[in-house]
Amino acid sequence: MARMKFICDAERCIECNGCVTACKNEHDVPWGVNRRRVVTLNDGIVGAERSISVACMHCSDAPCQAVCPVNCFYKTEDGVVLHDKDLCIGCGYCFYACPFGAPQFPQAGAFGLRGKMDKCTFCAGGPEKDNSKAENEKYGRNRLAEGKLPACAEMCSTKALLAGDGDVLSDIYRERVMRRGRGGDLWGHATAYGVPGAKPAAQPAAPVQQKS
Amino acid sequence: MMKAVSLVLAGAAVLSLAGCGEKPQTVSAKPGVSAAKADDKPYNNDQFKNDRAAWERTLRARADNQNEYKRVN
Repeated sequence: MARMKFICDAERCIECNGCVTACKNEHDVPWGVNRRRVVTLNDGIVGAERSISVACMHCSDAPCQAVCPVNCFYKTEDGVVLHDKDLCIGCGYCFYACPFGAPQFPQAGAFGLRGKMDKCTFCAGGPEKDNSKAENEKYGRNRLAEGKLPACAEMCSTKALLAGDGDVLSDIYRERVMRRGRGGDLWGHATAYGVPGAKPAAQPAAPVQQKS
Repeated sequence: MMKAVSLVLAGAAVLSLAGCGEKPQTVSAKPGVSAAKADDKPYNNDQFKNDRAAWERTLRARADNQNEYKRVN
């Protein structure tokens, strides 16, 4: 198996919010926290309107993991980015670092108190014992351990949102694009998983020598 | 007067000991090393019995099922 990925096909998404509802229901996500949401661009413009379902993309080089001051993030061997809520201090750095706005913070307390970060787990739970009560309460249901894919993708009525092994998703998407003859661009894919064959980021330039 | 001074001194002595029970509350975060607890493998359970290949097959079949061209046509 390569690694777990999400694909959202903007040509197919009809903004039904079925993925959002499935996620909230599956994991009992509290009010005010949206692990997944649907974003619509060019709303109302005929022919140009596109919707995309956005959540944590479980990036190859996750910026949230890089900026976390307590290193509460970890990556499973299948490429799923998860975090340990027992370590999270709710600082919000990950929220600023994430290009997808995935980290969410419950604000149920007084004075704008910010709780521990919550985000999409790819329905893989967290570091607690799989399918235990503690894991369910902190991170939601662990569907991967049951041999199931994330609820949002399995619930998607138009199959705009796909989840699973990257190789399988590539095959599905390739066939789809070949049949319809358009819409090969995948929103957010390059940001999350990099561009194949791309050179690494340029090194900072050497400091300019100033004349005295 | 002496009683008040001794009371203040006793109080100060008790206060000076207050910090002795304090536990360190800092998290030792090392760059590039996750501090999270070790997670279970998703296939190490009663259903898959630590058989990663079986788990992968199940998930692959499930992912393949997202391709409606295979299901409908």
